[in-house]
Amino acid sequence: MLPLFKEIKDVIKWHELLWQMVGREVKTRYKQSILGYFWVILNPMAQMIVMSFAFSVIMRIPTNSAGNVPYSIFLFVALLPWNLFSNSLSSAASSLVGSAPLITKVYFPRTILVLSTILAKIVDFLFANIILIIYMIVYHMPINANILWIFPIFFIQQIFTIGLSLFFAAANLLYRDIQYLLSLILLLWMYLTPVIYPADLVPEKYRIIFQLNPMSVIINAYRQTILGGGAPNYTSLVIALVLSIIVLIGGLSYFKSREKIFADNI
Amino acid sequence: MNNTVIKFENVTKKFSFQNQKTFKEFLPALLKGEDTTTGFVALDNLSFEIKKGEVVGIIGPNGSGKSTILKLIAGVMSPTSGKVSVKGQVSPLIELGAGMHPELTGRENIYLNGAILGLKRKEIVANLQNIIDFSEISEFIDQPVKHYSSGMYMRLAFSIAIHVHPEILLVDEILAVGDTDFQAKCFAKMNEYKKDNNITIVFVSHSMGQVETFCERVIYLNHHQILADGDPKTTIEKYLSDTNK
Repeated sequence: MLPLFKEIKDVIKWHELLWQMVGREVKTRYKQSILGYFWVILNPMAQMIVMSFAFSVIMRIPTNSAGNVPYSIFLFVALLPWNLFSNSLSSAASSLVGSAPLITKVYFPRTILVLSTILAKIVDFLFANIILIIYMIVYHMPINANILWIFPIFFIQQIFTIGLSLFFAAANLLYRDIQYLLSLILLLWMYLTPVIYPADLVPEKYRIIFQLNPMSVIINAYRQTILGGGAPNYTSLVIALVLSIIVLIGGLSYFKSREKIFADNI
Repeated sequence: MNNTVIKFENVTKKFSFQNQKTFKEFLPALLKGEDTTTGFVALDNLSFEIKKGEVVGIIGPNGSGKSTILKLIAGVMSPTSGKVSVKGQVSPLIELGAGMHPELTGRENIYLNGAILGLKRKEIVANLQNIIDFSEISEFIDQPVKHYSSGMYMRLAFSIAIHVHPEILLVDEILAVGDTDFQAKCFAKMNEYKKDNNITIVFVSHSMGQVETFCERVIYLNHHQILADGDPKTTIEKYLSDTNK
């Protein structure tokens, strides 16, 4: 736990750099493009339309037992946070390599590079959510106070994402294969997470795999609280939180153990 | 009073290069028991101290480890063995413009680079006009730096770095930037810092003229070791006689 607190203190000390880096990411991403930031919304929307057609019109996946939620919303509620997770992880993995000139010249906490990439993805995510909100208003989706659960759920998701990102960023600096391996992992992982199908479709004997997969718990919890208006499964959420903290501590200690040789190996 | 700001104690820096950059090469090599890394010693058991306010030049042929010393002082690299202690804020003038983003404007880059060098936003705001004036590119300051000429780019980068008000200034071969006028201006600014007894300067250059006029002490590095350390004239002579052999 101790290195974690030390790192948090360091990052707070360098918070101005963190915000500058996030600003850089956000400002430059869509420079010299006609639609600019609109891509952040267009991308998941196109994805949703195509996937909705494939999985609800052709494959006819039922949404959930509770009933009559349109598949497109059912999918979108899970797809947006999944995309956030997957985009954060893949850009964080190349964040150190992409900042090679800085790493070999100036000292600052290296975790800033990973964190700023993730924060910039969160900004994108917030924009992409506009569509979901409009959608929910148009369809008169009922919501209640349980929707406030999305904040702790989001928090757990970020702990998990940061932990994994630190690991993959450091590993990718040493072996560039990691980024290719990661895209494969993310592709398979999405199918093992109830993004395109409801969690209740999973047969009883495989449930344990899903309980130990924090992303599955997180995605399912978003759905339960936003669409079903129910409370999330507390036990699963606590397991996810504990696993996420373990992943964060593990990822950070790997990152710190390699940090000394970043400049030598980049 | 102990006023040592930089202290190297038996510092050795070895680089080990991974021979195989991909798993495809790495795994078979590992199974066959081949070497997966190649070692290279950049600094061999170096010890020296630099006191507050000193202006120290480091000279030596290419590959003798000069830049490695600067990187160890900057905290970018860690020694393989031994200990490097540095007291005070370090500002590296090493290959400027590392943090510049081509799509951002000059002004935005001042904020970004200032933050990279450890400045608070307040300090940047307070110094903004000085930085812009010093760079002499105020008419282009709101243009993306990708449209800058390389000279303008270096001017801006140098102006930012020189306004950090460092306690330890690391200078690596950068005074070859800009035209003669701008170079003179840079030296004038450096001379100002030289007079300030709270600022320590470590200066790496291949220009013996610059080193001799600017530095008060010179460390001559060769074959990964310190061969001479002392007053500029004698140290430079030793270096020159070694190279002419």
